Amino acid sequence: MPVEYAKFPYLTTILLSCIAGLLIIVFMPRERKTEIKVVSAVFSGITLVLSIYLYFAYDKQAGGLQFVEKVLWVKSLGIHYFNAVDGFSLPMLLLTGIVFFTGVLTMWELENRVKEFFALLFLLVSGVFGLFMSLDLFFIFIWYDVSLFPMYLLIAIWGSTRKEYGAMKLTLYLLAGSALILPAIVYLVVQSGMNTFDLTALMAPGTFTPGQQRFAFLLFYIGFGILAGVWPFHTWSPVGHVAAPTSVSMIHAGVLMKIGAFGVLRLGIFLCPEGWHYWAHLMAVLATVGIVYGALAGLVQTDIKYVIGYSSVSHMGIVGLGLATVTLDGLNGAVFQMFAHGIMTALFFSSVGYIYDRTHTKAIDELGGLSQIMPKASSFLIVAALTGIGVPCLASFWGELVVFIAAFKTYPLCGTLAVCALVISALFILRVVQRTCYGPKNEQFAHLPDISFGLSIPRIILVSVIVLFGFYPALLFDMIQTASVPLFGRLP
Amino acid sequence: MMNWMLLGPELHCLLMGGVFLGLSMVRPNPARDYLTAMVFATVVVGFGLAGMKLQGDLFAAAYRVDLYSQVFKILIGLGLFLVVSISSGMKGIDERYHPEYYLLLATCTLAMMMMASAVHLVALFIALELSSYSLYILVSMRKGRGIGIEGGIKYFFVGASASAVMLMGMALIYGATRAFHIAELMEILPSVLNQPEVIIGLMFTLGGFFFKLAVFPFHFWAPDVYETAADQVAAYIATASKVAAVAILMRMAAVSGGGSKYLIDVLAILAIVSMTVGNLAAIVQKDLKRLLAYSSIAHAGYILIGILSMSQSGYAGTIFYVLGVVVMKFTCFLVVVKGASGGRNIEVSHLAGLHRRSPILALALMLALFGLAGIPPTIGFTGKLLIFTAAVEQGHLPLVIIAMINVVISLYYYLLILKAAYVEEPAETLPPLEVSPALKVLAIALITVMLVAGIYPQPLIELARAAALALI
Repeated sequence: MPVEYAKFPYLTTILLSCIAGLLIIVFMPRERKTEIKVVSAVFSGITLVLSIYLYFAYDKQAGGLQFVEKVLWVKSLGIHYFNAVDGFSLPMLLLTGIVFFTGVLTMWELENRVKEFFALLFLLVSGVFGLFMSLDLFFIFIWYDVSLFPMYLLIAIWGSTRKEYGAMKLTLYLLAGSALILPAIVYLVVQSGMNTFDLTALMAPGTFTPGQQRFAFLLFYIGFGILAGVWPFHTWSPVGHVAAPTSVSMIHAGVLMKIGAFGVLRLGIFLCPEGWHYWAHLMAVLATVGIVYGALAGLVQTDIKYVIGYSSVSHMGIVGLGLATVTLDGLNGAVFQMFAHGIMTALFFSSVGYIYDRTHTKAIDELGGLSQIMPKASSFLIVAALTGIGVPCLASFWGELVVFIAAFKTYPLCGTLAVCALVISALFILRVVQRTCYGPKNEQFAHLPDISFGLSIPRIILVSVIVLFGFYPALLFDMIQTASVPLFGRLP
Repeated sequence: MMNWMLLGPELHCLLMGGVFLGLSMVRPNPARDYLTAMVFATVVVGFGLAGMKLQGDLFAAAYRVDLYSQVFKILIGLGLFLVVSISSGMKGIDERYHPEYYLLLATCTLAMMMMASAVHLVALFIALELSSYSLYILVSMRKGRGIGIEGGIKYFFVGASASAVMLMGMALIYGATRAFHIAELMEILPSVLNQPEVIIGLMFTLGGFFFKLAVFPFHFWAPDVYETAADQVAAYIATASKVAAVAILMRMAAVSGGGSKYLIDVLAILAIVSMTVGNLAAIVQKDLKRLLAYSSIAHAGYILIGILSMSQSGYAGTIFYVLGVVVMKFTCFLVVVKGASGGRNIEVSHLAGLHRRSPILALALMLALFGLAGIPPTIGFTGKLLIFTAAVEQGHLPLVIIAMINVVISLYYYLLILKAAYVEEPAETLPPLEVSPALKVLAIALITVMLVAGIYPQPLIELARAAALALI
C-alpha cells in the first residue's frame, strides 16, 4: 500500500505529551497536590484534543494508514519506530483520550500519594496510546507491557477490597498472557525470514504457511484473550476491577480490556488470517460461554463493582463473538462494541466511584434510595446501566445489534444463547439500579451531598459521547469500514 | 617488543593488589583504603575502555586479546568499580581486614580478566582457580561468629569438587584431541564430537564453569554463600564473577562449532532445571540475598539458552544479557547494602517504607526488578528478546515458551519485593536513608542505563554482535 509520511508527528506528540506529563509530575514536589492534578488534566487534555483532531482529520476516502511515522530503530533486528493509524486504531485512540481525561478529572479528590498516582497513570496511558498506534511488533510488545505493569502498584497502593490479592492476580494473569505473545512474535519474525518486526511487511500474503498461522494465532488469541477477559481466562477481571481505584477501573475496563481485543485483531487477524478461520469456532464457543457465564455470575453478586466486572466479561464476550463470525459485519460490530463498551464501563465505574467515595460501601444491600439522596450521581449510574443493557439510541445498542445479526447468520445457536444472556444481563443490571437508586433510603447516608458540578464534568462528557454515538453511529461505523473492508479484501 | 597496553587492565589490577598488600601491613584506615581502591577501580575501567579495540596474542598464544575479551574485561572492571563504590563504611567485614578485602578483590578481578582472555586450557584452569580461591577467602571474611567461615567452607567444597570434575574433563578432551589450545580444539573437536569421551570431557569441563555461574546441579553453594558473605562480596559474586563465568563458558561452547545434538540437549535440560529450580525456590525466601541467589540461578538458566543456540546472535544476546545482569543485580545489591542496618542481613520485609525513606533507591529497585523479570522497556527485556530470538532461530521454541512461563513465576517474587518497597509501611516510622550525593548519582546512572538500553539498545547490540563475531 502507498505510504505517505505525516507532515507533523501528531502520534509522537500524543506519546510525548504523556511522557512530558509523567516527567513534570516526577519533578514536582509531592506536597503540591493541586498543581499536580492541574498538570495531569492539562496533559491528558492535550492527548484528548489531539486524538479528536486525528479522528476528524483522517481521510476516510483514502483509507489505509495515515499520519505515518517511521524511523529505523535497531538495524540488526529490523526494528522500526513505526506509528500510523487506520480505521481500527483511531476509535481506540479516541476512546483512550476520552477515558484518560475523564479518569484524571474523576480522581480530583485523591489525597494519598497524589504524585505517584498520576505519574503511574501517565506511564500506563502512554503504553496504551503507544500500543494502539504502533505497527512494529517489538514496540507493540513494549507498549503492551508498559500499559500493564504500573497496574500492580496502582491497585496495590490505592485500591480497596482485597487489593493486594487482586493486584497480584491481575498482574500475573496479564503477564502470563505476554508470555505467550512474545514467543509468538519471535516465532513469526524468525519464520518469515525477513529479519523485520514491521507489521505491514509481515502482513504480505504468503509470508506464513497455514500451519504457522494456526499456531501463532492460537498463542495470540490466548495471550491477548486473557486481557480481553475471554472465558475461562477472565477470573482476574472482576477481582482486579473491584480492587482498583475508580479511575484505574475506568481505564482498565474501559481501555485495557480493549487492548486485548485489539491485539487479537492487529496481530492475530492481520498476521494470521488463516489461523483466524481455523480457530473461529473455538472463539465463538468461548465467547458465548463468556457472555452467558458473565451474565449469570453478575446476577448473584452483592458488590456493585463485581456486577460491573462480570458485565464486562459478558460484554467483551460480544466483541469476541463478533470477531469469531469472520464476517465484515461481525468485525465492524466488534470494534464498535469495543468503543461503546469502553465509554459505557468508564461511566459505570466513575459513577459507582463517586457513590463509594461518599458512602464507603459497594454492597448493594447497604445502599438504597440513592436517587433521593444524590439524584445527579444516581442518574449517571442509571444512564450507564441502560447503556449496558443495550437500550436503543445509546452507543452499545449498535455494536450489540450488528454483532448479533452477524452471529445469527454464522452461528445460530451461539447467537440465540447470547441474546438470551442479554436478557439476563438486563435483569442483573436493573436489579442493581433498583436496589441502589430506588427503594427505601438508607438513613445512614441521608446527609451525604450530591455530586458537585466539577466532579460531574467527566461523567457528563462520557454521557454525551454515549448519546452522540447512539444517535449517530455512522460516525464510527464509517471509520471502521475504512479498515475492515480492505482487510476482507485481502483475505483469501 | 610487547605492547603493554594489551595488558593495561590486568596490570593495574596487579598493581592494586600490590598496593593493598603494602597497606595491609600498616595501621588500618578505612577511608584511605576506600579512596585508594576507588582510584584504582576507576583506572582499571578506564584502561579497559581505552583498550577496547586492541588485538593481539601473548604468551605463546595462550592469551588472546580481542574485542570479545576486552568487552568482558570492561564488564568485569565495571563490576569491580561498582562493588568498590558501595564499600565505604562497610560493616560486614572488620575494619582491620579492609585492605585484605580490596587486595583479594584485585586478585580476583585480575583472575577473571585472565579467564576472559585465556585460550589455553591450562591458562584457563589457573585463572579459574585464582579467582575461586580469592572468593573463598572473601566469603569467609564476614564478621561475626563464624557464619562467614561456614559459607566459605561450603563454597570451597563445591568449588573444589567442580574443579576436580573440570580437570578430569580437560584430561579427557586432551586424550581425544591431543590439543590444549582453543584454536586447535575448534578445528579438531567438531569432527570428533560424536565420540562419547569427547562429549563427556566437554560436559565435565563445562561443569567447572557451571559452578561459577551457579547452574544446576552445581548451584547448591549460591544461596548459602550469598547469605553468609558480606553484602559487598555477595554483590561481587553476583555481578563480576558471573560475567567471567559466562565469558569462559561461551569460549568453551564456541569450541564445539555448531555443537552436537547431545551437548545441546544436555544444556537445554540444565537450562530448564536451573530456571525452574531457581524461580520456585526464590518464591519462599525471606532473606533478600538468598532470594537474589536463587534468582541468579534462574538467570543462569536464561543465559544457557543464549549459549546453547551456538550462533552469533545467541552469543551476542548473551553478552548483552550479561551486561544487563550486572547492572540490574548490582542495583538490587545497592539497595541491600543501603537498606541493611549494622552489617546484618536484610529481609524482604525490611524494605517496607523504602519509597519514603529513599525515593531514588526505590525507583532504581523497581526498574531493576522489572528488568530482572524481563519486562520492557528495560535492559533485561532487550537481553531476553535477543536470546529468545536466537533460540527460536535455531528451532528451540519449546525452550523459549518454558522460559517465558518461568518469567511469569519469577514475576511473583519480584512483585513481592516491590510490594514491600512501595506498598507496605514499617511498623514504626523509620528515618530517611542516608544516601550520599555520589551514590545518588550512581543510582541515577544505573536507572538511565537500564532504561536507555531498553528503549534504544542499537549501539550496545552492535557492540555485542561484533564481540560475538570475534569469538567464532
